[in-house]
Amino acid sequence: MPAEAAMAGTVAAVPPLAMTGIGKHFPGVIALDNVDLTLEAGKVHALMGENGAGKSTLIKILAGVYGKDAGTIRIAGRETTLSGPADALRQGIKVVFQEIALISEFTVAENIFLEEYPTGRTGSIDWRKISRDAKALFERIGFDVDTSARTGTLPISQQQMVEIARALAQEARIVVMDEPTSSLTPNEVALLFTVIRRLTSLGIAVIYVSHKLDEVFEIADTVTVLRDGRHISTKPIADHTNETLIQDMIGRQIDDLFPRSRGQASDKVALSVKGVGTEKLEDISFEVYSGEVLGFFGLMGAGRTELAKAIVGFDPIDSGTIAVGGKPLRPHDTRTAVSLGIGLLTEDRKGEGLMLELPVVYNLSLAALGSFARGGFIDERREREAAQSYVDRFRIRTPGLYQEIKNLSGGNQQKVLLARWLLKGLSVIVVDEPTRGIDVGAKSEIFALIDQLAADGHAIIMMTSEMPELLGLSDRIMVMGEGRITGSFSRDEATQEKILNAAIV
Amino acid sequence: MALTKMVTEVSSPPTSGSLVGALASNGQIVLVAALVIICVGISLVVPQFYSGANIIAILRQVALVLIVACGMTMLLITAEVDLSVGASLAFVGVVAMDVINLTDSVFLGAVAGIAFGAFVGLVNGVVVTRLKVNSLIATIGTMMILQGGVFLYTREAIQNHHHIASFVDIGAGYVGPVPIPVIIAAIIFVASYVVLRHTTLGRYLYAVGANEKTARLSGLRSTRLKLFAFVLTGALVGVAGLILGSLMNAGQPTAGRGFELTVIAAVILGGTSLSGGRGTLIGTLLGVFILKIIDNGIIILQWNQDLQMIVPGVVLILAIYLDILRRRADAR
Amino acid sequence: MQKSILGLLAAGTALVAVMAAPAIAQDTPKRIGYVVNYATHEWYQNVIKGMKDHGAELGITVEVKDANLDVAKQVSAAEDFIAQGVDVLILTPVNEEGVVPLLRRAKAAGMPVVLEGNPVKGMTTMVAICDYDTGYDAGVEAGKYAKENLDGVAKVMNVGLPLLSATVLRSEGFMDGIRTEIPDATLVHDLDGGGNPDRSLEVSTAALAQNDDINIIYGINDSSSLGGLQAWKAAGKSQDDLLVVGTGGEGLAFINAMENEPSYRIEAAMFPEKNGYTAIEAAIKVFNGEEVPEHIVSPTAPMVGDEWSTYYDYDGSTRSIKWDAVNALVPPEKCTKTAADLK
Repeated sequence: MPAEAAMAGTVAAVPPLAMTGIGKHFPGVIALDNVDLTLEAGKVHALMGENGAGKSTLIKILAGVYGKDAGTIRIAGRETTLSGPADALRQGIKVVFQEIALISEFTVAENIFLEEYPTGRTGSIDWRKISRDAKALFERIGFDVDTSARTGTLPISQQQMVEIARALAQEARIVVMDEPTSSLTPNEVALLFTVIRRLTSLGIAVIYVSHKLDEVFEIADTVTVLRDGRHISTKPIADHTNETLIQDMIGRQIDDLFPRSRGQASDKVALSVKGVGTEKLEDISFEVYSGEVLGFFGLMGAGRTELAKAIVGFDPIDSGTIAVGGKPLRPHDTRTAVSLGIGLLTEDRKGEGLMLELPVVYNLSLAALGSFARGGFIDERREREAAQSYVDRFRIRTPGLYQEIKNLSGGNQQKVLLARWLLKGLSVIVVDEPTRGIDVGAKSEIFALIDQLAADGHAIIMMTSEMPELLGLSDRIMVMGEGRITGSFSRDEATQEKILNAAIV
Repeated sequence: MALTKMVTEVSSPPTSGSLVGALASNGQIVLVAALVIICVGISLVVPQFYSGANIIAILRQVALVLIVACGMTMLLITAEVDLSVGASLAFVGVVAMDVINLTDSVFLGAVAGIAFGAFVGLVNGVVVTRLKVNSLIATIGTMMILQGGVFLYTREAIQNHHHIASFVDIGAGYVGPVPIPVIIAAIIFVASYVVLRHTTLGRYLYAVGANEKTARLSGLRSTRLKLFAFVLTGALVGVAGLILGSLMNAGQPTAGRGFELTVIAAVILGGTSLSGGRGTLIGTLLGVFILKIIDNGIIILQWNQDLQMIVPGVVLILAIYLDILRRRADAR
Repeated sequence: MQKSILGLLAAGTALVAVMAAPAIAQDTPKRIGYVVNYATHEWYQNVIKGMKDHGAELGITVEVKDANLDVAKQVSAAEDFIAQGVDVLILTPVNEEGVVPLLRRAKAAGMPVVLEGNPVKGMTTMVAICDYDTGYDAGVEAGKYAKENLDGVAKVMNVGLPLLSATVLRSEGFMDGIRTEIPDATLVHDLDGGGNPDRSLEVSTAALAQNDDINIIYGINDSSSLGGLQAWKAAGKSQDDLLVVGTGGEGLAFINAMENEPSYRIEAAMFPEKNGYTAIEAAIKVFNGEEVPEHIVSPTAPMVGDEWSTYYDYDGSTRSIKWDAVNALVPPEKCTKTAADLK
């Protein structure tokens, strides 16, 4: 698109958005301190940083949700204030948040023109025009969707497209995308990138907020890194490597994202799954050895999470057998599963893992609580000591054992959940998307922990959709598609290409 | 490090209203203060508030509500609720009185009453955990069944036909200066406190209410835990029904109207969340005292009688609003 | 049998204010439909019992439908009766305004209607007791009792129900009656016992704790007076210097109390059975197109000590009304005070 790029270049003289010296205080905290951000029309500007770095505060200021305490905002060269979400929108700023803000009972077309329905001569709403205009908008971003479908019935990826189409309808010049790929499959990510490129070709400036390095390298032109509310760097993406970007984000160097301290897996079968079938799964058989990390890859809907929940007894199975350490499990019975030594580190931390309002120590000791009790009475001193030892060993950052766990970062929450299983003394741990929603810095710690657990003789089954961690951590890799196992690779023979080929059924 | 920043960023509210939020999250201090203000206020106008007779009167009323509130606290902690306790209270008295009349045995009557209460709890529990009916709806259902059922059972109050005096002692008797219901309530309260605070069972009840899926994945039998809370609440209704029947020296089918609302209002006022996973028995104790002392105060202040209905209504709304504030403070 | 029917008829007609036509000249209706507002209540159980008993004596079928406190249900039940062609409709209105159009339709259909309990605009006649007079008569008896046994002191705790005008009238009547005997009688506590026993117990407990000089407990129904008495007993007080007065006499509870509780000395009986009986009498009259007063009063009487056995037989599990004694009672022609006088 050289012609369009040239066109965008001419506009670049006046930046569509220039934020300078932005500061924002919350009681007791400086969330943003003297932060600058300047956009170029037709370019993708990535905004990176760990949780708490100030990304979301900055975005919320842009969206008009928060007011700023210091600094200036210029839109197309003119100094302005954003007095509220409606005002921000009026001035051409459209933020697509992670949690989609569409009315799920309305059709796609209705949602797009929510702010202002075109009316006919009589003042009644011109439904035919709405439908026609909506279709035209989707043609402009190069995406096909049924505009008469009820929005709530669409997958998240398509709802995102509806939000983007709305941005065009609202004539936004700046589109902010907050972690847009966190629940998308690789195919959907590719589609999203096509649409983003279409937006930039229309001269729109895009702010792309993400943790994911590979995506940023693929889509961004420029990257700004924030840390602890401060501006750390703004560089063309070409000037960055994986290492420099991570270093900017976490403020230190990571030698190796995927450390490997363990040797060969043993030949002791820790878990054996034979012919397991459910509504969503078909004839799944595999074995895992003590000291091994077995990676499972699959696209959305491949059945990874279903498999994980079936083998730990959370969901019922229709056929097949599961044995831990040679002992058969009773299907659909988490109690015996846990007592035999198998458990799930869930992908859905809030929904299935954490007791958000309870303290760290309660969360950590839950599964092993019986071992601290005599006659049903909990020996709280022993419980605390055991929990503290894991907090130290896993370097769980928490103000105290009695802090409510919802106040911890995602990475530290994940470590608590992992500690819950180790305290119980599980021999087989099924980890489902272990790094979802976790900072880069904490990710490497989780990777190191998984490696360490395998080295200690645990069998780890890792369900993941992240290619780097699959390839980096696994001893063996199984690929799933449509509820079946469609490929199996050793660490040495696995490549991204082979795995993706097997995954696409 | 980024962590401390993150913690505060998440927990600090972007807008004003933090004062109210802070007050709400320190609920128990507020409750104690409210209790003190109410007591001082009433006693300034009516010095007899502190008379032995009035204190005993208050304690006896507190006892009746507290006994059931102990079970209700545990039930709400598991994220379930039982609205049938008032209707069951009346039925328990009728059944116990009838059995006493038939057998001449207060012991058998007591066993029958408590067993009946526990059975109602079991039915509630099974409907909620097995049939997966929302407990609010399910127990409104059992409430209606019990209200109708008790009139099928008897049209009028069942009298203590054999004039057995020991039955009257359950509610009206004393050990030294302390009314027997107060002693029963104190024992139940302490036992419940210990279970909830210091045993695995108590901890598991919190876990099930905080996140049932987590509890299941951790190997807990969530349905059994909920069933336990239902049956316990039912059995405690049995105890309270026995005391009420004894106080009235009859099984009254019309008793217990609105009792469930008093109990639930007290528990929520005490800081137990309707959405499960949090709550304390100390809070419940304070909640029961506040409601019952307000009630007593309106009577001895000889205020307009309509206030007897209005004030608890206002307190109930206030209690729910506190719960909302608390959750809103948490969401930040 | 025949003779007793005639006798009863004569007694019944003697009660009703208009006595012009001799009993023999009357036609009797064949079917009477009664829509009760709340059949579960003991009071209405006995009203129905009185209607059915009297109907059976006269060879009248009395059919009953329960509105269960739902005015829509009441209207449709009444329309059913009209459609079925009953001879007379008796109605205890759930809601006074709600049945006004129904009365209009019944009139248009030529259906004679008798109301029980509460008046409705446009009605022909209503059968009801006088609440104020009931309380007043009991108050006079209570005053006499206090003069003799309580040193002429009357400090009253009223376990009332301020929600309903009928029960407010009873309480007012009681205090006015007692003052005819003891002019300085005081109302120490005016409570809302909700009309149910446990709430009455609860409010009475608090009131008694505050004022230990109370010596008379008045309850607007039996649940209220018994709740007050139980509160007294639970406070560990002796019943020696106490008088309890109940109202209604609906079930067995008051008999039990009068037999066993030394302080429970007076019951203002309202004879619900008689109410039903009188309603049937009124139905026959309107069926014959006779002139009837707007308010036909059903008699009440204070029963002191063991006088209850004058009016009721009790075999230990059920009670039955003694019609001769009750029918001999002469009600006032009209009530001294009604709900209309309250404001």
